[in-house]
Amino acid sequence: MREMIVSELTLAVDELARGFAHYLPRLIVMLILAFVGWIIAYLAKAVLRSILRLIKFDKLSENTGASQLLIKASLPSATEMLSRFVFWVVWLGFFMLGVSVLGILGLQDQIARFFLFLPRLFVAMFLMFFGLLAASFFSRAALLAAVNANVPSPRVLSMTVRSIIIVFVLSIVFEELGLAEQTMLVAFGIAFGALMLALAIAFGIGGRDLAQSFLEKKFVRGRKEENEDELSPL
Amino acid sequence: MTETLTDRVSREGTTVAHTELKLEDESFLTDDFVRQLINVGEVDILVGLPTHNNARTICPIVRTIQSGILQAFPRERAVIINVDGGSRDGTPELVTGISIDDVRPASNLYALRTLPSISTRYASSPASGVSLRTILAAADLLRAKACVVISPESANVESEWISKLLRPIYRENFDLVTPTYRRHKFEGLLVTNLLYPMVRALYGMRIREAFAPEFGFSSRLGSQFLGQNNWHDGSDGAGIELRFTLAAVKAGYRIGQSFLGEKDRVQRHASDLVPALRQTVGTLFSVLESDFPAWNAVVGSQPIPTTGSEQEFLLEPMRINRKRLREMFSTGVAELESVFRTILSPATLVELQRIARLGEEEFRYSSELWVKTVYEFAASYRKSVISRDHIIQALAPLFRGRVFTFLMENRGGSANDVENNIEGLCLEFERLKPYLLEQWKSRE
Amino acid sequence: MPVNPDVLWYKDAIIYQVHVRTFHDSNGDGIGDFQGLEERLDYLQELGVNAIWLMPFFPSPLRDDGYDIADYRGVHASYGTLDDFRKVLDSAHQRGLRVIIELVLNHSSDQHPWFQEARSSQNNPRRDWYVWSDTEARYKGTRIIFLDTETSNWAWDPTSKSFYWHRFFSHQPDLNYDNPAVREEIWDVMKFWLEMGVDGFRLDAVPYLVEREGTNCENLPETHNILKELRRKLDEQFPGRMLLAEANQWPADLRPYFGDGDEFHMAFHFPLMPRMFMALKLEDRKPITEILHQTPEIPPSCQWSLFLRNHDELTLEMVTDIERDYMYDMYAESKMMRLNLGIRRRLAPLLSNDRRRIELMNGMLMSLPGTPIIYYGDEIGMGDNIGLGDRNGVRTPMQWSGGWNSGFSVAKAESLVAPLIQDPVYGYPAVNVVSQSESEHSLLHWMQRIISVRTSTGVFGRGAIEFLYPANHRILAYLRRLGKETVLVVNNLSSSAQAVELDLQRYKGNILIEMFGNNLFPRVGELPYLLTMGPYQFYWFRLRRV
Repeated sequence: MREMIVSELTLAVDELARGFAHYLPRLIVMLILAFVGWIIAYLAKAVLRSILRLIKFDKLSENTGASQLLIKASLPSATEMLSRFVFWVVWLGFFMLGVSVLGILGLQDQIARFFLFLPRLFVAMFLMFFGLLAASFFSRAALLAAVNANVPSPRVLSMTVRSIIIVFVLSIVFEELGLAEQTMLVAFGIAFGALMLALAIAFGIGGRDLAQSFLEKKFVRGRKEENEDELSPL
Repeated sequence: MTETLTDRVSREGTTVAHTELKLEDESFLTDDFVRQLINVGEVDILVGLPTHNNARTICPIVRTIQSGILQAFPRERAVIINVDGGSRDGTPELVTGISIDDVRPASNLYALRTLPSISTRYASSPASGVSLRTILAAADLLRAKACVVISPESANVESEWISKLLRPIYRENFDLVTPTYRRHKFEGLLVTNLLYPMVRALYGMRIREAFAPEFGFSSRLGSQFLGQNNWHDGSDGAGIELRFTLAAVKAGYRIGQSFLGEKDRVQRHASDLVPALRQTVGTLFSVLESDFPAWNAVVGSQPIPTTGSEQEFLLEPMRINRKRLREMFSTGVAELESVFRTILSPATLVELQRIARLGEEEFRYSSELWVKTVYEFAASYRKSVISRDHIIQALAPLFRGRVFTFLMENRGGSANDVENNIEGLCLEFERLKPYLLEQWKSRE
Repeated sequence: MPVNPDVLWYKDAIIYQVHVRTFHDSNGDGIGDFQGLEERLDYLQELGVNAIWLMPFFPSPLRDDGYDIADYRGVHASYGTLDDFRKVLDSAHQRGLRVIIELVLNHSSDQHPWFQEARSSQNNPRRDWYVWSDTEARYKGTRIIFLDTETSNWAWDPTSKSFYWHRFFSHQPDLNYDNPAVREEIWDVMKFWLEMGVDGFRLDAVPYLVEREGTNCENLPETHNILKELRRKLDEQFPGRMLLAEANQWPADLRPYFGDGDEFHMAFHFPLMPRMFMALKLEDRKPITEILHQTPEIPPSCQWSLFLRNHDELTLEMVTDIERDYMYDMYAESKMMRLNLGIRRRLAPLLSNDRRRIELMNGMLMSLPGTPIIYYGDEIGMGDNIGLGDRNGVRTPMQWSGGWNSGFSVAKAESLVAPLIQDPVYGYPAVNVVSQSESEHSLLHWMQRIISVRTSTGVFGRGAIEFLYPANHRILAYLRRLGKETVLVVNNLSSSAQAVELDLQRYKGNILIEMFGNNLFPRVGELPYLLTMGPYQFYWFRLRRV
């Protein structure tokens, strides 16, 4: 019995050693890849950062209002963020490559899927960026227009516009990422429709008085305006 | 009288230097218009008349212009060029139909020679940049010595305007003649409280109406502007008149102004403020960057030769909703805080918020605060901290607050008092110019 | 008579206006005479004209260059005798030249025996032959014509101690046409000359024959009646003779002088002439087309008489104040050139001796509807001498050659009736018939050429006119039509080259034949007909459909 155990152990150790010896080179390759990848990622980050600084990407993103968001979120500048992101993606890519060398079966597929997923991720981020941009722009435009037209509660209007746009953008982003696509779309549709219906009801039935006084204020004010001399700015 | 050869050389010598019309400029004129120009031939006087659906008033206006030309320049060759922005009521046909020539039956006006009226459609909707460009191109091709643009929106065009705007150019060697008007003291506040003082402080010339619907100019100035202005910057040229005036100032042309009389009170609404701001303040702010070398070193300001009064005020009482002005100011300051934070300096914003909380009696948007506000806006515009159009829109509620203060300060004032107040504001703009320069640099 | 017996001969006439006393002197006394004129008729025949208009040659104190007549049936001694005149008449007719003489109807010289008698006493039988008044109050408000010299239309006669009426110089008392004796006598005078063979009369100053209180004393119906009566007698007894009216009036006021074809045959179109000069300076056809628009239709047998210059000042009576000032500033910078609301200069100096402009103006003269009159000397481009008083600056001796006294007379220079033009530009050594006859491209030869082209067709003298209105207002273009014949005339009034598009759609398919060179020009097609023209250039095209 002792011999059997010893021989089994020996066999097991042998197999382990063999397996280890089998995987070791691959492990070493993986580590090398990870290391090389880290260097390349670092270089890429540095290069990208220089390029972005050169084209004054910070300034551009400042224009879009994204910088303000980042500052609010206590995040570093857009250039930095983007550089770091690229660093992580590149490094991760190499790491994944290294892991794939290990030859672990299920992992291969997942890694492949990861790489396939990357472009969509980029598109989603792109959409998010510009979506936030648009939301910021249009909400501000609505705010200014409302203030200058003397419409009551301009900030509410501005927020509403921003929310609608963000929700819309989010739903598109989720669809792009392939996460709960239908759900998001439907949810957005329902939400938007509900909002419209609510407004209709408010004006039509329930909030009749409110709507009436709102309209009255608009019209009556208009009439009062006619009785007064209007100043021409030029 | 016959002029001597030396007279003609000295008169023509200065115009020969005008920029040759670039081919690309010529090609934007239609074939038919070029043919009409060929038939008109060289002229001495050119009147540009941009129109859009003015059929109701255009005939008397053209007759007035014709009689003005015949009174002031009976022997000179003249032409009236109508540039139409897609009228659908037959305005161009009406203009060409009352040309003075031997084909049409004699009108009451007696003319020594033919005074043609020709017309071209420059676009299917009005665009002041393209219309001015067309007029300048025509003036250049016809070698007109003195030109004037008359806007048919001014319903009270008088025949003397032709003489007042053209005589200094045709006979006294001026290059640009801007108008001055008699207005109600509370009209045109955008001009008296922002445009005039700022142009004066920055460019050093006391031009009362740098953005005017009617003005006269020489062939030298017209040709240079035609050749050098960037006509393809994407905008349809709104505010081109202001650019034109500033180009003349920059290049050192001889500028004067002429009193035209009462400025017709066109019925407007408060909602017209934003478009007006876009055309005037927007244009002004947008040229400041490229004009920096021209205005940054200028200190103080010089008066320009003026025929007639510089400004006259009508003092009859007006009923104005002052309360609404102040409310819009306060609402604006409150609601647009996030926007103002990116545009204004913290100190200015705090001050604005403070006065926004004051009651009607204590409320005062002082000159100094207003000047600082405007200058900070100009600097922010340059940096495009947010969309430039939004910056302009954001100025509107603040302007209303300033209007309120102006109304209160000049409630009972005489014309002299009003003029003094405006002069005071101008001096404030001049005094705080270093502040603008500081803001300009700090946002580098 | 070898002359064309056509009663409408005046419609095809080219008239040469000449003053005997400055044309040619045959007897060496320094004054031109009829014999001298006769010697030069060949020149006129060669020039191509077919009628001459002789300025007054009657006995006269010559205080108004012969327009103050002292004997209606004589010839001034300096110019010769009545026989000399008859000889000229015959010689002219032999060469196919008709002769038109002047008759001053309105007034006579104060040296005329009639006036001498009339003024001698208030009861003299001839008293009533003139217009007398005890005060100057009659006919108040009537305009004064010779503004530079006269201050009133009444002059005081010390002999008979009363005022007499004179519309012109004070030494030219007006005849009283309310007196039938006067009217008869005048017809008798006319008959005298007509029987001799004269072909027509230029009747001077006709608007002023009759005066009436409360009117402007011009163009009155009574005047017209008198003139109609004269015409009636003329047609009865001397058919084919012509009456030409000198009436400086607006076209509408001129129209009555044609009557219904029963008054004057011809009248001068005074208002057109200054406008031709004006259009040239303005470089704009408007003044010409406008005045021709305002010109009324005249009876078919009547004809306008066109001219560029004549012995008088270029009159600016029939223009507006603005136009007059413009003309003064453009054509008469020196005040000395101005006289009596006019400009006393010859054609060539007015046009700055610019050969192109001279040709253009003559081209218009020859192609506009009417009978052209050439003032002597203008065919060689003679100059003027504004230093001579009154209108004598344009009445200097004809310049025949570069030699002694320019071939005008063998007398000494001081005895000449008027001084010769001597300056280097217009002086007789530079401008004269002999040298221009030698030179192929002289103005004289050019005038001969254009006259011959003009007379080659009846369309210019007798045809209708239709204006084209090209968009280029510097071009004056019109069509002359007579029967099947159509001529297109295009004039460039500008000092610079021009392009013009003419609407000739109605003449599609016609070939244009340029009339001076007889070369073919492109056929009229669908598109507007494009012509490019040099400065002051003009074209005459015959339209021919093959």
